[in-house]
Amino acid sequence: MKNRWFLLSLLLIFGLVLASCGDSGSETPQTDTEETTPADTTETEPAEEAVVEEVEEEETAVEDIAAEADVTGIAQIRIAVVMPSTVTDLAWSQAVYDSLLRLQAEAGGPDVMEIAYTENMFNVTDAAAAMRDYAADGFNIVLAHGTQYGTSMFEIAPDFPETTFAWGTAVDTGAEQGLTNVFAYEARAEEGGYVNGVLAANLSTSGVIGVVGPVEAGDAKLYIDGFVAGAMAANPDIQVNVSYTGSFGDTALAAEAANTQIAAGADVLTGSAQQVVGAIGVAAEQGVPWLGTQSDQSPIAPDVVVASQLYNWDGVLSDIIRKHQAGEYGGTAYALTLGNSGLVMDYADGLDGEAVAAAMVAANDIIAGAIDVNAIIAGEAPAAADAGDEEMMIEYPEIEPVRIALVMPSTTTDLAWSQSIYDSLVILQNHYGEENFEIAYTENMFNVTDAAAAIRDYAADGYDLVIAHGAQYGTSLFELAPDFPETSFAWGTTTNTGADEGVTNVFAYEPRAEQGGYVSGVVATYLTESGIIGLVGPVDAGDAKLHVDGFLAGVRDTNPDIQVNVSFTGSFGDTALAAEAANTQIAAGADVLTGSSQQVVGAIGVASENGVPWLGIQADQSPAGADVVVVTVLYDWVPTLLEMITANQAGEYGGRVLQLTLENGGQTMIYADSLPAEAVEAGMAAEQAIIDGAIEIVAEPRN
Amino acid sequence: MNNGDLTTLTIVVGILHSGIRLATPYLYAAIGEMFSQRSGVLNLGVDGIMLMGAFFGFFTVFKTGSLLLGVLAAALIGGLMGLILCVVSITYQAEQGISGIGLFMFGLGASSLLFKTMLGTVEGIQGFSELNFCLTDSFCLAEVPVIGDIFFHHSLMTYGAFALVPLAWWVLNKTTWGLKVRSVGQNPEAADSLGVNVIQVRYTAVTLGGVLAGIAGASLSISLLGIFQENLTNGMGFIAVALVYFGSWKPLGVLAGALLFSTVNALQLWVQVLNLNIPSDVAVMLPYLLTIIALALPFRRALQPAMLTKPFTRGEN
Repeated sequence: MKNRWFLLSLLLIFGLVLASCGDSGSETPQTDTEETTPADTTETEPAEEAVVEEVEEEETAVEDIAAEADVTGIAQIRIAVVMPSTVTDLAWSQAVYDSLLRLQAEAGGPDVMEIAYTENMFNVTDAAAAMRDYAADGFNIVLAHGTQYGTSMFEIAPDFPETTFAWGTAVDTGAEQGLTNVFAYEARAEEGGYVNGVLAANLSTSGVIGVVGPVEAGDAKLYIDGFVAGAMAANPDIQVNVSYTGSFGDTALAAEAANTQIAAGADVLTGSAQQVVGAIGVAAEQGVPWLGTQSDQSPIAPDVVVASQLYNWDGVLSDIIRKHQAGEYGGTAYALTLGNSGLVMDYADGLDGEAVAAAMVAANDIIAGAIDVNAIIAGEAPAAADAGDEEMMIEYPEIEPVRIALVMPSTTTDLAWSQSIYDSLVILQNHYGEENFEIAYTENMFNVTDAAAAIRDYAADGYDLVIAHGAQYGTSLFELAPDFPETSFAWGTTTNTGADEGVTNVFAYEPRAEQGGYVSGVVATYLTESGIIGLVGPVDAGDAKLHVDGFLAGVRDTNPDIQVNVSFTGSFGDTALAAEAANTQIAAGADVLTGSSQQVVGAIGVASENGVPWLGIQADQSPAGADVVVVTVLYDWVPTLLEMITANQAGEYGGRVLQLTLENGGQTMIYADSLPAEAVEAGMAAEQAIIDGAIEIVAEPRN
Repeated sequence: MNNGDLTTLTIVVGILHSGIRLATPYLYAAIGEMFSQRSGVLNLGVDGIMLMGAFFGFFTVFKTGSLLLGVLAAALIGGLMGLILCVVSITYQAEQGISGIGLFMFGLGASSLLFKTMLGTVEGIQGFSELNFCLTDSFCLAEVPVIGDIFFHHSLMTYGAFALVPLAWWVLNKTTWGLKVRSVGQNPEAADSLGVNVIQVRYTAVTLGGVLAGIAGASLSISLLGIFQENLTNGMGFIAVALVYFGSWKPLGVLAGALLFSTVNALQLWVQVLNLNIPSDVAVMLPYLLTIIALALPFRRALQPAMLTKPFTRGEN
């Protein structure tokens, strides 16, 4: 049958498409935009730090030289560059090529100074061949413009003792190996990065800045470390999300990363390497200001590229040329700094004057030595009074290696119940390390029998703590817990540890959702003009019921004239129906919406479309509608999880009832900047009153 | 609490407007499934196809910004999923109930995997927006009271779904291909003896069903919601299969079923908003209750295609 072959080939194509999709998926940038604090970024610093210090002496020597780039009257010279990207990359390679062109013009044109270059040498072996060819061809100076070329260059250099080689980002001139004809150069990108960071923090109104980096190494790492330090110094509350694409040239991925950053709330973007043209395109489309580095990137989007750190290699190159012609073929390590004008800050006209002033002060302080960017990055000098204090408030106890399994009714990306606890587990794993903190999970366990099987499997497999993340799993849990007396089980929303039935190894947990719900209700009364608030719930039970009760009480206690319309969809996952419920609420006059469970992403989409403020609970739902999610009751499971883990390791396998409250940090209120001040004040006052016990949340009976 | 400000008219308009919009994905999926079942093949994988269509449609729009490409991508992946079912159920004659469930689970898993690796988090896009039918600069049909509010505030995808109903009726009843589909579902041996290629007709009907299911998914992700989330359809595909039975394998019947189901769904949402003295659980049950009652009506059974779920092998019987 002819048909069969046709179909088989179609299937094959389908399979290939899927497979290739999977591949590109694994390359997807780290979208885990973590909050990078200066402390985070210094883990691998000490070694580099030492090297950088050595160069500092050199740097002072370079200072004057770099300032006066003078190649007039030099003898004829031939210079070759081997570069990883292209002379038009608007980044690393173009910066050095532009400098060479300027010097050539100054020196008297191609007759005096010949320039040859080889682009796109991402393959190091090819680059080595090109370098050897240039040297053999009699070029006087061969620039290996990339850290990756170092090893090959050190092998080639001894064969051409009268040819000058230079490479960067690097500080090693090979002197220890007896090489005399190698120069090293680097850009102290962290300096301009710091200045850009200060500028960005002053430009951002959302409090979120996005960074699109290539790989966490070399020049890009310096720049980004400096940037984060600068932003935090200018505003300790700022959040800098860094995402690396894992590639220097993947423009599409960089664009995607920029989109992701914007979706995550960033309103100022920066990034480095040639890939960023993609990101700048996205920035231009969305009207988000972009801060550039390396080369002048304004040609792509003059409107959004508002500031740039430009690398000016003129001074370094002219010095190398002069030294070469004076018979000194290598041995010096150069650094571009703000002080020696190797780094030049360029601000666009029309930029906010205050922000530019702050940036200029920072640049001057760096030049004057009042700010030591590397010390700040290394955590040796305080960036700002109390940057990151809030983070440090969590005390992480010492724990033994632990294995935790999580069985959940929806998925780790549900923006609600399941994601909230998974995110907390990941925070703990990041702290303790994967080898000490193992996480296993099973998603979509809406079938209780399947869930019971999964729970039993995890227990039998020796997991220390098995979390059954849903009230529906309780019955099965009590049946199987006695079979594994030394395994801790936990479930919620509940207060029942099974002690009455003689079960000793079950923890119960319950987010006191009525507390966050109450505060949300108070805030909501300030947002409604129509006097009608809509609530989209899943089913009237468990966590959702607590939230609804609290929300209604908060509204009622603040302004009894305001009406709250409650509609339940009857499902946790019916996104389309939740969207329709939101539409119905709006049609019925609601101009503020809230709701809970994973289905609400549909409702948030509708809220976003209609410009109606949304008050979220459980997880941060701003990815589904950054502009409308004005309040979030964030569940922070870290303290709860830590309590269960430490109890387990002390031999107490269950029996405790753990609650997530405003007081113990299990719930955190997040208020958007766009909220009116009085609403935030009222919300905070309600929080305090709940913590102090001054407010008793009374639920009224409902239908 | 009372809703004194709301007139009965507002509520009726609201229910009808919601009902029409909610019917969109059900219509695409159920009309597609109808073709498949009329040819004698039960496709229980509709929900999985919808999920794949929803993801590919969303992802294409997310990447390219082109809504047309999004619909095409959803249709393409839907067609491919339909073809997979053809190979399994028609060529290899696997038990149709089981192979369909397999396809559903594949679609559920694959769309989740793709979502996790390629998007990672819920993202929003600007999907199909509502048309306003402006005849002149100052006059838009959408602004006509009542009628405009109910009928002229929908997106192109919604109108497409309703346009599909008469089109499907015409194709099924007035074209040669439609006649072949009906005959291979009713009496494949007779059709075969008259020179109809039974296998080929079933292949095209099921693939068409897949294409429409893919578009149904896209109508969710790039028209109604503008987002993609794992298991976005939440079992809608199975409701669509039920609607085919409900509609007695006829386009107009399917239309009636879809509208009834979605309107009752819209009604129950309003019932809750109006704070009527009815427990929310009862309101939520309404649409399903109604579906079960309608399905239980005895006269429908007789209209089922005689050879539904029965594979065809030439020369048997």
